[in-house]
Amino acid sequence: MVKIRLRRMGKKKAPFYRVIVADSRSPRDGRCIEEIGTYDPNTEPATVNINAELAKKWLDTGAKPTEIVTRLFKQAGIE
Amino acid sequence: MICYIISLVLKDPDIKRLKKEFGHQRVFMEKIVKQSLLYDFYGELLTKHQRQIYEDAVFNDMSLSEIADNYDITRQAAFDLIKRCDKALESYECKLGMLERFDKIKSYTAGILKVSEELKKKSFDNSKEAEEISDLAENILDVL
Repeated sequence: MVKIRLRRMGKKKAPFYRVIVADSRSPRDGRCIEEIGTYDPNTEPATVNINAELAKKWLDTGAKPTEIVTRLFKQAGIE
Repeated sequence: MICYIISLVLKDPDIKRLKKEFGHQRVFMEKIVKQSLLYDFYGELLTKHQRQIYEDAVFNDMSLSEIADNYDITRQAAFDLIKRCDKALESYECKLGMLERFDKIKSYTAGILKVSEELKKKSFDNSKEAEEISDLAENILDVL
């Protein structure tokens, strides 16, 4: 199954996340199908940057977002 | 929800009270962030197996069932392990308080940086000293 999930980037003690589309069967090897946005909690308030077009495209094809990504989508106004 | 909060702010600009009221939502949003920050500080104290699974859950945002499949354990076992790690990391933070101190130093230094930038804009004579202050503040932020 294709999932939309966060992947942590950034250096130690300054977490920064990418919103990626990846196959749920190959999660550990670091490969991802596409990067559709970022989530930066270091700023106040946290910055959420999501390419709405790509997000919609993947949601329509049946990719399943994780819980936290669902919340980020809502924050960015993507249903 | 955000629109709702904004409309409340417009009606009642008592932001402190609103922060208190909606604080739980922010905490909830950032659970994964807090977990990874705690892990950055105290992760080395967990066992190798715990570290692997916790990293998958927190850095790679994997679900319990995916973790369970990957490591050949039950979902319940994965859940318990992550819970146990959370508890361990929280208890280290309770005793050592490194994250709290880190947060404070970071925000104070950011404050210094902001003030020195303002000083740089205002006074022409002291701009060299102000430059030095902001360099030092940036250095502190770098090594934190």
